[in-house]
Amino acid sequence: MWDAFGFEFVNFYLIPGLVLGCIYALGAIGITLTFGILRFANFAHGEMMMMGGYLTWTIMAIVTALFGLTLHPLVAMVPATAVVIFLFLLTDKYFYKPFRKEDTIKVVMASFGMMLIIRSAVQAIWGPNQLKFVSGIAKPNEILRDVSGSIDLMLLVPNKHIWIFLGTIVIVIALSYLLNKTRIGKAMRAVSDSPDLAHVTGIDVDQVIRATWIVGGICAMAAGVFLAMDIQLLETTMGFRMLLPMFAAAILGGIGKPYGAVFGGLVIGLAEELSAYPWIGDTPLLSPGYKTGVAFAIMVIMLIVRPQGLFKGRSF
Amino acid sequence: MEAYLGYFLYLLSLLTVGGIYALFALGLNVQWGFAGLFNVGIVGFAAVGAYSYALLTTAESTFHLGGFGLPLPFGMFVGMILAAAIAAVIGVICIRLRSDYLAIATIGIAEIIKLVFKNETEITNGPRGINKIPRAWEHFSEERFYSSWPLSWFASPETWESFFDWLPNWWWQPFFAGTVLLVMYVVYRLLERARMSPWGRMMTAIRENEPAARAAGKDVTTRRIEAFVIGAAIMGLAGALFAQHLRLIEPTNTFDSAKVTFLVWVMLICGGSGNNRGAMLGAFLIWTIWSASELVIGGTISLIGNVFQNLDTTILETRAGFLRMMLIGILMQVILQKYPGGILPEVRPASPKADKS
Amino acid sequence: MKNVLFGASALAMITSGAFADVTIGNPMAMTGPIPDLNAPIAAAVDLAAKSVNEQGGMFKSGEMLNIIRADSACDPTAAVDAVTKLINVSNVAAIVGPVCSGATIAQAESVSIPAGVVTLSVSASSPAISTMEDGTDLVFRAAASDAYQGVALAELAIEKGYMDMAVSYANDDYNAAIAAVFVDAYTAAGGTVTANEAHEPSKASYRSEVATLGSTSDNLALFAYYGSGGITVMRNALETAAFSNFIGADGMLSDEVIEQIGAENMGGVTFTTSASDPTTEAYAAWSAVAEAGGVPAADPFVPNGYDAAFMMALAIEKAGTADRGAIAAALREISSAPGEIILPGEWAKAKEILAAGGDINYEGGAGNQDFDENGDVAGLFSKSEVVDGAWVAELIK
Repeated sequence: MWDAFGFEFVNFYLIPGLVLGCIYALGAIGITLTFGILRFANFAHGEMMMMGGYLTWTIMAIVTALFGLTLHPLVAMVPATAVVIFLFLLTDKYFYKPFRKEDTIKVVMASFGMMLIIRSAVQAIWGPNQLKFVSGIAKPNEILRDVSGSIDLMLLVPNKHIWIFLGTIVIVIALSYLLNKTRIGKAMRAVSDSPDLAHVTGIDVDQVIRATWIVGGICAMAAGVFLAMDIQLLETTMGFRMLLPMFAAAILGGIGKPYGAVFGGLVIGLAEELSAYPWIGDTPLLSPGYKTGVAFAIMVIMLIVRPQGLFKGRSF
Repeated sequence: MEAYLGYFLYLLSLLTVGGIYALFALGLNVQWGFAGLFNVGIVGFAAVGAYSYALLTTAESTFHLGGFGLPLPFGMFVGMILAAAIAAVIGVICIRLRSDYLAIATIGIAEIIKLVFKNETEITNGPRGINKIPRAWEHFSEERFYSSWPLSWFASPETWESFFDWLPNWWWQPFFAGTVLLVMYVVYRLLERARMSPWGRMMTAIRENEPAARAAGKDVTTRRIEAFVIGAAIMGLAGALFAQHLRLIEPTNTFDSAKVTFLVWVMLICGGSGNNRGAMLGAFLIWTIWSASELVIGGTISLIGNVFQNLDTTILETRAGFLRMMLIGILMQVILQKYPGGILPEVRPASPKADKS
Repeated sequence: MKNVLFGASALAMITSGAFADVTIGNPMAMTGPIPDLNAPIAAAVDLAAKSVNEQGGMFKSGEMLNIIRADSACDPTAAVDAVTKLINVSNVAAIVGPVCSGATIAQAESVSIPAGVVTLSVSASSPAISTMEDGTDLVFRAAASDAYQGVALAELAIEKGYMDMAVSYANDDYNAAIAAVFVDAYTAAGGTVTANEAHEPSKASYRSEVATLGSTSDNLALFAYYGSGGITVMRNALETAAFSNFIGADGMLSDEVIEQIGAENMGGVTFTTSASDPTTEAYAAWSAVAEAGGVPAADPFVPNGYDAAFMMALAIEKAGTADRGAIAAALREISSAPGEIILPGEWAKAKEILAAGGDINYEGGAGNQDFDENGDVAGLFSKSEVVDGAWVAELIK
């Protein structure tokens, strides 16, 4: 039934929820892999996302200044990804690796400290003011609107959201190929499932850790740029604001389970957007002032009721 | 002369705020240092303590619930009890979670607590916050206090009014700082006694080797909840003192996790977790660095500006605050790696047998 | 720890004492949620000090006016700490500053009122500040209370024929306060508020919120900072065509909004800001000063920043001493009639009149700056709309 109700619900609640969900999902993949393989909650992950957005912006600005071209963020993202991966590996070497044999708490504290260092560094370098990523208003894609409109299923999806959906699908497919078909991917899964056993079978754990940071870095990068494409601006707190929902997504899906993280991300994104839907009467179900609380509440409830997550991830 | 008075008053304010943070650090030390509970929701308990104190002790107001005008110690006591009660509920549900899970759960719960304070405008005045919070000692110079018992028992309101006018306007500062330090000292003594007691040694045993403690028949879960609740009560008390110091509290910026929770963690790690003296030392040290670094950085920038007249220092000025945060982050990394035990590492209480020998 | 303290205070002594003769503390909000708004206001405060120092400085001896900046971060904790240092260590004569209302109230109640130091806020607009003091006369502000702007905005909405409106406000001290005033005034004036919801600042998406609000009305009263979520709310509302008309207050008024959203999308947008009559001499003088100093004259609270610092300098000059006690009374005298009118930038003239024992009355770029008994100024307000890609302000009569 595609009446006014369906039209509004799909275009103004469901699709935005999925967009947000895609961004959470990509971020949560990195978190869940780090959590599963390196066994700590990386609080600096959100800041890496933010950093990715800023680096992409810088590359776009440099290209514009030098050649007068406007690069698409998805193109500028490629060299920026290399820098983010390098930063991930660098922080691992100097700040996380020293604690690998010690209490988890220390490395978690170290990542907490990294979060502050990265954010303050970005604020000191790029300044605290928000930056313009892409200006203007994103109008719905006309082809999709007309085609879907002609069969009475009018969809209003701007191009930036189509890119985000496609990008997420490509990354998730690539990830599943990596994890299921390649040697390193299988090794990653093995370490995540049982580090001791993996070690005994002769898997090079250091290599697996490097691969984890690279995969996590690519996903964080994509999440950061997609977020910047969606809100069309950059601010220094945008990473931190995504962090807890992404943790929630990772926990919901089960720690160490990339597909779980994707599913969890989509659920959290949808739950946040749908919480403002007037399910009962014509006021939002939950006051939008509490919107940020939705993800936290889901997360806390999951931790209490089913800490291993929906996809039976690791439970400590 | 006046300049020295200024430095003295600044020293008092460092001691006051340092003392409040020391209480936070002591509370965290019970949870983390004693029991190994990774609580990243300090702001939540601080906010509960601060808001209960504020609502109970302020004069009646149209902006928020009540303003019940109750005695200050009562407000602090209730702040403590409510923080403990909430911790008990959280503890019963979450205490079995492993360290990082507990961290994520507590940070989430703290954010939810803040959201409630922010959105339940009828009770808390929402983001606009509660102001005119009475501060210990200084509050005596407010009419509603000096015209009622116990002060009214000593002299008439008029006498008090002229007396407070006669006092230098900073008279209450040494008293308030002293009160904070006294509270801190009392809490410290009590915690030291607890640490030395069988209870304290059992906590260490549970933290270090849980299966062994369990095998020895110790009720691990209950002990952990106890530590969590005691720590939260101290944090609630610290929150109430924090509200007195600020005199205005609001949910967003006063209780910012990066500033409160993180700073307290740095204090404890730096001072030495597991060591109560270390917790206090870390609090005073880090707060002094945090506060004085603004003077040093600001001074350096204006020095640069004065030496190189044609240099535009505006950008340095606007960015300096972030360098301060970065400094604290780097400091913590260095301490974590080079001095894992902190400045004053944990000293295990000697067993009674060792005492005798 | 003592060494650190000693070093810090020694350095502070060198840097604040050696070069400056009259110091004013200026706690701004370089970090925290609104760094965007902060930078031009800080520049305006510096510009006022520059005006003073270029035209003969303070007092007969021509002492320098020095602004010592600190960071209040819109945060009560940081503000209390920053102002404690300004008052006790830097030993400032007065405070021109805090940007946010919460920080202003906290620093005033906790530090500056007990210490007997005058605070003149550049932009704290919360109605709570009017009723904050208990019998002291130490807190002033150079920006009009939201109690006035909210009413002006409600009248504007009615005048524009928006008889029903949805209200969305960012859940922070400034926006929640002005939204409450607006809703009361608008309802009293006969308008219907169809929905009134808070939103969390700086979220990634507000599409569902605007969709829910948008189903009730075509007009949105948006109270937010453009720098923390305001632009995203507007963008989401325009993308989903949830609203076609927007009104809002000065937190949203910035060139940044046009640059980000695009002028072509902003046909139905009207924002108010506290303003002075642009036809007055005072405003002309201010915009000339601002242009010469490279400061954006019309950005939110920028003229207020200049006025506040300039008036504080005038008050200290009038008092004849940097002693804290005499400044409050002097501040009232130099800002109100009777007296020779002094416009922004006219320091030499004011100094001459004051030296001769005359009376002056400062009229600023942000308004006539006459303080009432609460230390508040009445506000004139302007409405700004986008014409040819830029904000064009028009005074609301």
